[in-house]
Amino acid sequence: MDSPAESEIPKPKQRPIIRIGSSSPMISDQDVSRASRFIDELNSLYLESRSSGIEIPRLIALHMANLGGEVSYHKFQSQPNKFHPLHFFTSPNAETNRGNETCESYATNTVGIIRASRGDGKESIVLVTPYNSVNLSQNEALSLGIAYAAFSLLAQVTWLAKDIIWLAADSQYGQYNSVASWLRDYHTPSFDGFGKVDAANCHGSNGIQESNLDMSIETEVSDTFRRAGTMAAALVIKVASTSEDGNQDALNIYAEASNGQMPNLDLINVVSYLAVHGQGLQVKMEKLVSLIDSKWLKFIGEVFESVGKIARSLNPQLKFGISVKDYVEGSATLVSSLYNQALGVPTGSHGAFRDYQVDAVTMEISPKITFNSLGRQTEFLFQGGRLIEGIVRSVNNLLEKFHQSFFLYLLTSSNKFISVGVYMIAFLLLVAPLPVVAASLFSDAIKSDEDKATSSDSNSYKSWRWLYPAKTIFLIHLWGAIVSLLPYFIYKIPDSQPTSNILIWASLSIFILTVLHLFFGPHTCHLQEWALLKSVTVSAAFIGLCLMSVINFATAEIGALLLVPMCLVVKPWRAARKVHSALSLVLVVLGFPGVAFFVLKAAFGVQNGSGLAEFWYWLESLWAWNSATYIYLCMVHLPCWVLCIYILLHPC
Amino acid sequence: MPVQCTMDLHFCYQFLVLLLLIIEVKGSQVICYADFITAMLIRAIGQRLQVADIQSLKLLGAGQFLKISENFQSGDVAALVYLWNPLTIITCLGCSTSPLENLMIVLSLYGACMRLVPLAAFGWVIASHLSLYPVILVIPLVLLIGCGLDTPPQKLFLQQTHGDDHKETSESLNPRIFSWRRAVLFFLWATAWAFYVLVLCGLSLKEYSGLGEMFKRTYGFILSVEDLSPNIGVLWYFFAEVFDFFRDFFLIVFHINILFMVLPLAVRLHHRPCFLAFVYIAISSVLKSYPSVGDSALYLGLLGLFVNALADMQFSFFLFSGYLGTLLLSPVMHNLWIWRGTGNANFYFATAMAYACFQIILVVESVSSMLKHDRALKQDTTTVAKKLQ
Repeated sequence: MDSPAESEIPKPKQRPIIRIGSSSPMISDQDVSRASRFIDELNSLYLESRSSGIEIPRLIALHMANLGGEVSYHKFQSQPNKFHPLHFFTSPNAETNRGNETCESYATNTVGIIRASRGDGKESIVLVTPYNSVNLSQNEALSLGIAYAAFSLLAQVTWLAKDIIWLAADSQYGQYNSVASWLRDYHTPSFDGFGKVDAANCHGSNGIQESNLDMSIETEVSDTFRRAGTMAAALVIKVASTSEDGNQDALNIYAEASNGQMPNLDLINVVSYLAVHGQGLQVKMEKLVSLIDSKWLKFIGEVFESVGKIARSLNPQLKFGISVKDYVEGSATLVSSLYNQALGVPTGSHGAFRDYQVDAVTMEISPKITFNSLGRQTEFLFQGGRLIEGIVRSVNNLLEKFHQSFFLYLLTSSNKFISVGVYMIAFLLLVAPLPVVAASLFSDAIKSDEDKATSSDSNSYKSWRWLYPAKTIFLIHLWGAIVSLLPYFIYKIPDSQPTSNILIWASLSIFILTVLHLFFGPHTCHLQEWALLKSVTVSAAFIGLCLMSVINFATAEIGALLLVPMCLVVKPWRAARKVHSALSLVLVVLGFPGVAFFVLKAAFGVQNGSGLAEFWYWLESLWAWNSATYIYLCMVHLPCWVLCIYILLHPC
Repeated sequence: MPVQCTMDLHFCYQFLVLLLLIIEVKGSQVICYADFITAMLIRAIGQRLQVADIQSLKLLGAGQFLKISENFQSGDVAALVYLWNPLTIITCLGCSTSPLENLMIVLSLYGACMRLVPLAAFGWVIASHLSLYPVILVIPLVLLIGCGLDTPPQKLFLQQTHGDDHKETSESLNPRIFSWRRAVLFFLWATAWAFYVLVLCGLSLKEYSGLGEMFKRTYGFILSVEDLSPNIGVLWYFFAEVFDFFRDFFLIVFHINILFMVLPLAVRLHHRPCFLAFVYIAISSVLKSYPSVGDSALYLGLLGLFVNALADMQFSFFLFSGYLGTLLLSPVMHNLWIWRGTGNANFYFATAMAYACFQIILVVESVSSMLKHDRALKQDTTTVAKKLQ
């Protein structure tokens, strides 16, 4: 999996329409000093009135309007987590039902739009700054300040060809929810005004009109939903607390959206190129920390390094050598990237954009020291503003979307990736034994049958005998589908604990399995039947894995690592030797999703919470985020596991 | 064993009625009923075919095959395969009109099997009117009406009579005399029905610029492949890619492709007109300009009619897995291309091509195993005849 075949991008491609970072930054002292003042006002306002979350959106709106943007509020409700496992196939617009909730659960996004002087208003670029309007932290104020500085500049420039939308997203109900609900309303125009009436009822209690901050702009700020064109790209700007190992400011890029979808690689390239070469930031990706210190990984890295050295000494043209540090860090990043993609849970609010085919990344800037002086803050604002200006300018100059073919990749560092053409080879080699084994078992079973048929002369339909095992497998997969729907009913139980939930789930599943077994029990036991059963099981696993590799590659890869050895090795314990059956027993135990979860956690040294409750929460996060991984677990992995046990215990 | 079988069948039918009731709430009732009537007609055809099969096998004295062909009630199998096929259910839920086309095709086959000439002509005319491709079914229909249901090859009967000519008169053993009277009757009826349909269409389309426009908008639309929106066939991709000045040439090539196969198959399989109809339907559903899963549902159902003859079909498991895999993969690829935007048209087209390949393998395999079945019959009868001598 950690193949050293990482394709390096030497330089961003030089296309006629875009030349990254060629123009000198235009952000001026004026923009930054305004931004500093804005941050001060935010802080003082927050210290004055901690009570309601209304004043900060108003202040932001005021400043946006003063810069010359069109401002509007967007009110939304927090969406409760729902259980809809097949969400993957439905479009995001499908669920616009609004529940009648109390007015307290409303939050307010502030949206400012700059109309492009040179554009036709058909395209736009989105800047998102999540902040908590009830509990504003210093970092959030800084991120608002950076966006403000950039917005202030962009309001004046003449080269703008795409509209700029600044979304100050109120994240008191979660960063993702605010952005997702704004996007949903952006893409579903409502003509009946249903949502507006709903929100207007709450004005009395929410009191935007009653606020006495500054009534002069009230005419400009409207509740009507303002739109710009289709979104070309979106940037989520965040400021993290100080970086750990810092003699340099660092930039973390988060890109994984739901179901392991990634934004276009070009966007990540633009961001990392500008951050490194323009602003001297250290670009980092998320990595699994425990792997960096692991001895065996270092050992493999050393082997690769020495092999590379030997190769180069033989022929200077061969340059596949990789240093130990690069290898270890690349592997740690790769594992983390793979895990995040496999989980199918977006790593930030940029995930909401991917559902509408908009490329988006989260840029988390972490300064090297705390801001004790004003000068340091100004410098930081300059840096952030310049970075955003550069990215906006690059995206602005594009005549069409980014090149369409770089969506399927795994990142090993911010400027190295493994493309689909490389990692698919590894996956295909992994699953290739499955159809071969299925075919050989099948033909063996048919042949041995033929030998018998010549003597007894009764057995026709021998090429259709797979229908009986296929029935069993269909039933088990049906069981898997039922199991995947059970949590819907478990949620109806009031006041339930995670541990008891998971026990109820397991016992109900086993009960249903027993009932199915009693009703549609196995017909007459045939001597060679297990071979046919295994053959059909293996081909079902193959189809399932191939299907999943298209939906979410990372899930399929990790699933195949568990499933393929188990399916290949398993054999009835009466027919197998002792060592063989012990091996298959170990693999079957490891193949159970719950056991695999805990074993992997222990192996990577990740520890938070313990016991069954943790597993339940993990699963809960999967279906809360409509992850296809959950469907894979219940409809491919679990049935195959049950079938393997069935084969193992087969009385042949 | 037979009692249990019929019990099972009754249970299945009752369940199906329930299922139909559930679907009715959502989908269109007409289409559900059309599917159900189609299944009933397929069942009747199957029973008829089996009776004829057993009769001819008795005449040949092929005891071993007799046992095989009594194994399954092929009509029930075919009807159940048609109704329980996920493709049928999907078509039904999607309120597609292909069940109506399927109904008309099966109606004409049923009429031909029962030798109800007007009904067969009616089904044929309406089916061709609806989707044009059933026109090629005229050959199996005329064969069915002219010389009756599927039998083993003619030579075997002649051999048999040759073997023991002194015992029986040749007339009783040789039922295959082509009745020209019926065939002419069929064509007369077909002309009458076609005239009737055209007059009705002409009357109702008088305000909308008449029949010429109708031909252009229906048959012309089918033949010139104007709509290139993606479907499970392969033509949309091809004609989206092809240069404009080659378009006419390739249109002719693709349409002639179907016609090329008609005559050789008719010569080779003329003694089994129902099977010939199945092969034609399968081929046209692969190569037609706007294929849908409803067409596949029909020929998979009809495949069940020959369950006894195709008992030794090879690659059945491979074909089943292939169908399952491509049919699951193609909506995912479509989603990847259209909704998520991370894939492109090639992803979806790859599944369409794989699907076409599997369909072709199915046709080839079923034809070859049917021929093998005939060959085995021949061997068996010759040995029997030798023993008798």
